[in-house]
Amino acid sequence: MSSLVFEGRAVPFQPGDTVASALYRDGLRTFSRSTKYHRRRGLYCGTGDCPNCLMTVDGLPAVHTCVTTCLEGMRVERSGGWPSAERDVLHVTDFLHRMMPVGFYYKTFIRPRFAWPVAERVIRRATGLGALPETTAAARHVVHHEHVEVLVIGGGIAGLEAARDAVSAGASSVLVCDEGRVGERVAPGPVLDRHRSLEAQVRALDAVTVLENVTALGVYEGLHVPLAGDGELVHVHPSNVIVATGAIEEHAVFPGNDLPGVMLGRAAAALGGVHGVRAGERAVVAVRTDEGLHHLRTLLASGVEVVASAVSSELAHRLPDRGLGEVVVGGEVHEAHGGSSLASVVLRREGWAKRFDCDLLVLSIGLTPRDGLARMALPGEGVTVVGDAAGARHVDACGDPGTVCLCEDVWMHDLEQAWDEGYRNTEILKRYTTTTMGPCQGAMCGGALSCFAASRGEDARRVADIPAPPALRTTARPPARPVTLETLAAGVHEIVDKRTSLHELHVAAGARLDRSGGWLRPLTFGDWREEYRAVRDRVSIMDVGTLGKFTLAGPDADELVDRLFPCRTDDLAPGRTRYVLTLDEAGYVMDDGLLARLGGGEWYLTTTSGAAGRSEARLRNFVDRLGLDVHVLDRTSQWGAINVAGPHARDLLGRLIDDAIDAGSVPYSGFADITVAGVRCRAIRSGFVGELAFELHHPRRRGPELWTALDEAGLAWGLRPHGLDALELLRLEKGHLYLGQDTLPDDTPVKLRMPWAVDMSKPWFVGKRALERMGALPLTRRHVGLEFDGGPADTAELRGEPLLVAGEMVGRVTSAERSPVLDRAIGLGWMRAVDGGFPDRLSTGSGASATVASTPFYDPEGGRMRG
Amino acid sequence: MAELRVELPSVVALLAPSEVCERIEAPGGATLFRVGPREVMVVGRADVSGIRAAVGEGPLIDDVSDGWAAFVIEGADAHEAFARLSELEPPARGWMQGTVAGAAARVLVEPRRITILVPAMLAAHVEDRIRVDGAEVLAP
Repeated sequence: MSSLVFEGRAVPFQPGDTVASALYRDGLRTFSRSTKYHRRRGLYCGTGDCPNCLMTVDGLPAVHTCVTTCLEGMRVERSGGWPSAERDVLHVTDFLHRMMPVGFYYKTFIRPRFAWPVAERVIRRATGLGALPETTAAARHVVHHEHVEVLVIGGGIAGLEAARDAVSAGASSVLVCDEGRVGERVAPGPVLDRHRSLEAQVRALDAVTVLENVTALGVYEGLHVPLAGDGELVHVHPSNVIVATGAIEEHAVFPGNDLPGVMLGRAAAALGGVHGVRAGERAVVAVRTDEGLHHLRTLLASGVEVVASAVSSELAHRLPDRGLGEVVVGGEVHEAHGGSSLASVVLRREGWAKRFDCDLLVLSIGLTPRDGLARMALPGEGVTVVGDAAGARHVDACGDPGTVCLCEDVWMHDLEQAWDEGYRNTEILKRYTTTTMGPCQGAMCGGALSCFAASRGEDARRVADIPAPPALRTTARPPARPVTLETLAAGVHEIVDKRTSLHELHVAAGARLDRSGGWLRPLTFGDWREEYRAVRDRVSIMDVGTLGKFTLAGPDADELVDRLFPCRTDDLAPGRTRYVLTLDEAGYVMDDGLLARLGGGEWYLTTTSGAAGRSEARLRNFVDRLGLDVHVLDRTSQWGAINVAGPHARDLLGRLIDDAIDAGSVPYSGFADITVAGVRCRAIRSGFVGELAFELHHPRRRGPELWTALDEAGLAWGLRPHGLDALELLRLEKGHLYLGQDTLPDDTPVKLRMPWAVDMSKPWFVGKRALERMGALPLTRRHVGLEFDGGPADTAELRGEPLLVAGEMVGRVTSAERSPVLDRAIGLGWMRAVDGGFPDRLSTGSGASATVASTPFYDPEGGRMRG
Repeated sequence: MAELRVELPSVVALLAPSEVCERIEAPGGATLFRVGPREVMVVGRADVSGIRAAVGEGPLIDDVSDGWAAFVIEGADAHEAFARLSELEPPARGWMQGTVAGAAARVLVEPRRITILVPAMLAAHVEDRIRVDGAEVLAP
């Protein structure tokens, strides 16, 4: 026989068993402990609605074991209780109701101040539904989209009929059954017979897709219904939704209503009728529904002795002839007694009450629509409710003592206290007492809460002649059922890495890669300091294909660039480039790049790697807003780029080209279209690393052969490719900013000490008016170059440290590194004005001295890069 | 099942006034994607000179094939494989644009065949998503 492992021991199960039915057959009666008072909780609803059977299954907490099919070797544990759920020392809290009234955590442990953090830790350890697994990696879920005309949620009789009728009306439909397979948990009898007949009809229809073992998590605006299945998340986009989720049996409130042995009719019937497990030896039953009569017959057939039956007068003439014990027509359950499990039940009728010894109390006293999904939908969104889910909520007399909310352990006296404290409508009663906020989301207790609020409101109206609050239902929100975080996250946080055409070459070369600006980029190919040396002393290449690259063309292209950038562009000759800042309307620096004039009304623009996507949107936006006739072509994906940098850069290229690239042909701040190793390139002179450099922009598919040719030819000069780690120091020595790392969102060109990048004499450019206004104000913050003395041995650790003057923070270090060529620690940072000026001497948080220094630190005349 | 083919597509971009975009006709063996009011993508057998001859001087016309990668999913389960990548609802025949596997894509839909065009810089990611999420419906 197959078996699962329950708390370390093997428990056999039979085909078709749920975890709960197998454990019940094995004799288990305490399925969990209540969250607050640690009361024993037994199998109760049998339909996956209440919290009583929640256990940890294969490491996953809060699993409804009453609807979880057994699998060989499955590991099952109860989660509540210390040291165990069976012998729980924390049950002492059940005797401390007076010390822990509803909302006690809002009122206690306030003084002294350290009390609450301690108390919170204790409370958190004593409550909850189990611990999340810490070592299990989240399983990847397949995300799947379905577009259907009709989505039917619910695999019961109403759902099957709705799916069949939808097809008859000419629509395709998807039928979702979230209780295992269709009809799987229905006890034998006329209801199951009807199920089977309808199921056969529906399965024969090609236009119906039946999805089983999936759960509808919610109904979202749109319409959009996510379905969680085993390892998959299906997003259904239907035209119409039919909610046929049925009803759950009503949770009755009376003293002792949460004792193990108190069970709803469907649970008892499923145990006896489906799984062949006798739910108890001696039972008292309370029946007020037609469905309850079927459960009663199933109970009798399973061999349970019924000692008493409380039945409604409407059903009295339809009762089985024998085996009902003492029949109490019009009677109701008054209270239940017991210790670790049910021992007796008191039935009452007007002027009459009697105690019956029993170990099982079966309740079928009414139905509560399972309509949470329907209530999530916006009005008029094509959601209809059918079957029992559309039925009226049964409202019984409210106010009897007992457990109202099984999930949160809220009792009727808790609601009464909250009412007396002034919480006098359904929503704030819910928030204060947490009733309906547990795993069942009010499925069991929502009716009792509404009923309580309505009846107390009516009492108040009678006594004080004040308006009674409406008996509102609490708001239904997704998820409708417990769902794992990995399911919720499926497909949501997708990391989409961009790769240049050289990615495979970098991997083959052993590069250490990381994400930067949305791209996977090499940090280093092994020894970043040696890569740095190659740039400064010899020659190096770097993959800069990540730069944003755009062609701007059309009759108004000249006007666009003139309006977009704060520097002059009209004086830029064809074949020349200019460094440009991109400002927003507030005058803040958003990005920077290089603008090249191609001639004939055509321009070529590069942006930072991370800004390519939003740059295209911004360019197109301004074309539209300014009403210009300009075409914007994003070439970021189309073109790669390799920066050849170092004193021997020209020598290296000379080996691979026939074109002239001397300083006269391709000067600094110039570009030329040349052919390198057979690959047509746009060679742009750039100065980011502070050495002679040519950026070779080329067709993406030719990138690997160009890189390989440069790499091989460069060996003659000791070429080593460099990555971002070397670039960090190279650009820092030149005082070049990394936008985002070195800058703040409200930095202006003046704050960045770059007024030279702005020509305020231009009639108009984006951000000019804001700069004019700010120009009349005193400068309160600026960017600075820094030289350090002392501090941590690893200068890079200075990054992020505060800058202090007389112990007061006035700024922050944004970049720092030790420069080998300068033989000192240098950095960049920002600082605010102190007493109207900017001090030259500062200290850092770690005690280093910092002196404000001019930049560039390296080759301030720029002779090397202009060579 | 369905088969996946990775192809290097031939793509020409035409950026022109909307009236020019309106009148351009697909060259033989090519498909036109009107991706914006002033932008057309010509995918398939097309060359810059032929299109320039058709529309005249002025519009920006360029071979941008290097910027794109194509994934052709063909077979009975082509739509099933696509449903695992995007919430776009494919028409019976035609093309659409939107997010596929997290990438901005243009999608050509034919009976039993779906062609997904994505920027080449995202090709590795998209191919990985297609193969992992479509493992059950794609031929190995």
